[in-house]
Amino acid sequence: MSIFGSSEKKVEEKTTFNFDIDKENINQSNLAKDIKINGSIEAKDYIDFAGYLTGTIKSSTIYLKSNSYVKGTITGDTITIEGEVDGDIHAKDLHIKSTAKIKGNIRYNNIDIQNGSIINADLFYSS
Amino acid sequence: MQIKHIFISSLYKASMSTEEHKSIDQDEGSVNEYSDNDSKTVNVGAGVRIEGRIDGAEVSDISGTLSGTINSSNINLNSSGIFNGDMSGSDITISGNVEGDINSDQYLIVNQSANIKGTIEYSSLQVSYGAKIQGTIRHRGSVHSYSTNLDPIEKEDKTENDLNDQKEDV
Repeated sequence: MSIFGSSEKKVEEKTTFNFDIDKENINQSNLAKDIKINGSIEAKDYIDFAGYLTGTIKSSTIYLKSNSYVKGTITGDTITIEGEVDGDIHAKDLHIKSTAKIKGNIRYNNIDIQNGSIINADLFYSS
Repeated sequence: MQIKHIFISSLYKASMSTEEHKSIDQDEGSVNEYSDNDSKTVNVGAGVRIEGRIDGAEVSDISGTLSGTINSSNINLNSSGIFNGDMSGSDITISGNVEGDINSDQYLIVNQSANIKGTIEYSSLQVSYGAKIQGTIRHRGSVHSYSTNLDPIEKEDKTENDLNDQKEDV
């Protein structure tokens, strides 16, 4: 019994150690559901957002999850929207998913829109 | 006589009635795949230019240039197709150039090669990566669905205020 127990502990230590290193290498910000922000969010690499925001978001990759709500300006290279947006979107690559609801202005280089999304917006294409 | 079926391609360059069309089918049956007289089909071949109004068509397949108004339940604008004007239908697929208004009852599919300038009104929209759209997009009947979902932050603030008011009252 004692031998078996010690070997199990070793495995646990190894896995947690590796996980910490991975977390440090990715500059990822997660803003979970039910978080409310009034203001601006700026990040370098990746923002994963599921809360409520009134203000601006700026990052190279932005992922707005299905329960998110943003009122304001969203600027990024790659933006994926599953939630609700009321405002301006500036993106190089914009992916609008089926659960998205968008109102406002969209400026983009490349866009794809999934079936089911509700969009009431002015689109401005630039190459 | 009512024209039910218009078939226009670079070979024929004309619109014709069903009877005239029939005779051509017999001669060159292999050329025309829209041989069913009851199918209200419009086919504008590549290189053909049409100006005017198309109404009551069921299937419209456009590879040429069409300027004017088209009302057809099924519209397919191919990658070589150019359309200027107002387009309305149920199922619309766009792969070519559009300058004007698109009005879709059901499914609007915008393919990669599409280039649209104008106003789009849709019920269900699918856009492939690479398509160029410049103009306004409106979802049909979304006035109601939007008002129910207005600004969750303000909504919740209001309810909190209401609760506070109630407390003060007590």
